[in-house]
Amino acid sequence: MSGSLIRPGLRRVEQVMGTAISLDLADDLPPARLHELADDVFGWLREVDARFSTYRSDSEVCRFDRGEVLLSEASAQLRAVLERCADLWGDTDGFFDAYATGQLDPSGYVKGWAAQVASDRLIAAGATNHCLNAGGDVRVRGCSATGRPWRIGVRHPWDAMSTCLVLTGTDLAVATSGVYERGHHVLDPRRGAPATGLRSVTVVGRDLGVADAYATAAVAMGVAGIGWLDGLPDHPHAVITDGGRCLHSTRLPLAD
Amino acid sequence: MRRVLLAITGLAAGTTALVVLKGSPQASQVAQNLPAAPSSSAVPSLSATGSSSAAPTTGAATPRPRATATRAPGSRTSASARPSTARPSSAPRTTTAAPPKSTTRTVTGTVVSNEYGNVQVQIVVSGDRIVRAVALELPQKFVQSERRNEEVEGRYSGTSGQVVQRQSADLDTVSGATATSNSYRQSLQAAIDRAG
Repeated sequence: MSGSLIRPGLRRVEQVMGTAISLDLADDLPPARLHELADDVFGWLREVDARFSTYRSDSEVCRFDRGEVLLSEASAQLRAVLERCADLWGDTDGFFDAYATGQLDPSGYVKGWAAQVASDRLIAAGATNHCLNAGGDVRVRGCSATGRPWRIGVRHPWDAMSTCLVLTGTDLAVATSGVYERGHHVLDPRRGAPATGLRSVTVVGRDLGVADAYATAAVAMGVAGIGWLDGLPDHPHAVITDGGRCLHSTRLPLAD
Repeated sequence: MRRVLLAITGLAAGTTALVVLKGSPQASQVAQNLPAAPSSSAVPSLSATGSSSAAPTTGAATPRPRATATRAPGSRTSASARPSTARPSSAPRTTTAAPPKSTTRTVTGTVVSNEYGNVQVQIVVSGDRIVRAVALELPQKFVQSERRNEEVEGRYSGTSGQVVQRQSADLDTVSGATATSNSYRQSLQAAIDRAG
């Protein structure tokens, strides 16, 4: 609340899709308009969650997976997501796999995609300066309320309270996949076992869904993911290995 | 006789061509499990009958990898190792070093327990910027983590104190695999959000 006193814009955090979504609207707009824009963003994200959640047995994804909804009957959104997942499966040589767990789970694409769509809608609505952080996947547009390009820290893989890199830009999608917590893992779809070798992978691009899928795929590849990432001309990246080594593209938009 | 010669020559040429064609992709195949660069490889059609068997886990329909190296050293920066500056323990760090400003506020997060222990974070905000962030309490196992951090090279930063002092003062947001609400609560992003 006090934030609104010292700078323009609006910040809001809500729990959607099983994680926290932080929205930072930096445009100097009337408060009512800012709240309306934020309502639209979170309304859209809840709509996506209702449709795509694998934790809700009544979601369209679950009904589709059980065969209760045919592809021809599926919503345009579900069909678009399935198509993109199929494309990404090919792009990542099978390492981004919506069926990695044996059941349809497009979450690895959906979260980034949903945030990307929300950001695109904000741009269309005239809110050209904003930052949307969906569970660590970040889409920034324009500048922060201080008037400078957004500054995005990349989480330190062994310490949730610090960052290991700082990126900056006015039009960036930054996705980080990794393994920080015991029990959480990324499956290598070829072996059906948790991937090892890379502790975290950050991919920068223009489309958050694609960046997130690429980051997840690289983690699933293990050390070979480093070479694979190097072959992506439009997606600068940073990698931190299990051994604690940090490698990154020379084109990574680092601050300072 | 001439026909026999032609036939033999033809057979030899054909065999050579086959060997060359078959051999060339293998020549660049240095490791079995390296993924290929993005290509127009066969894309699975996700149909209504999709199930676990549709998943490309067998790799049978997957093009074999052709990446030739795991790393292209020329395209990367590789900064030298940082000197070890890890703090010896997880003892709380104080904020007394921060010169007080009129607009400075201190925001303290709630104590969150996880399987490793308790975590609590405090940040100091000057105007709309975080000027300092400290972990008031960290699980004991972080001591082991910090030792591991020292091995990290390049731009990779070591302990939380170091990083925060050098970089976090200007952060707007944090990218990280915040898979659950619980991991969010323990994150720097949550501290930034609380600061408003």
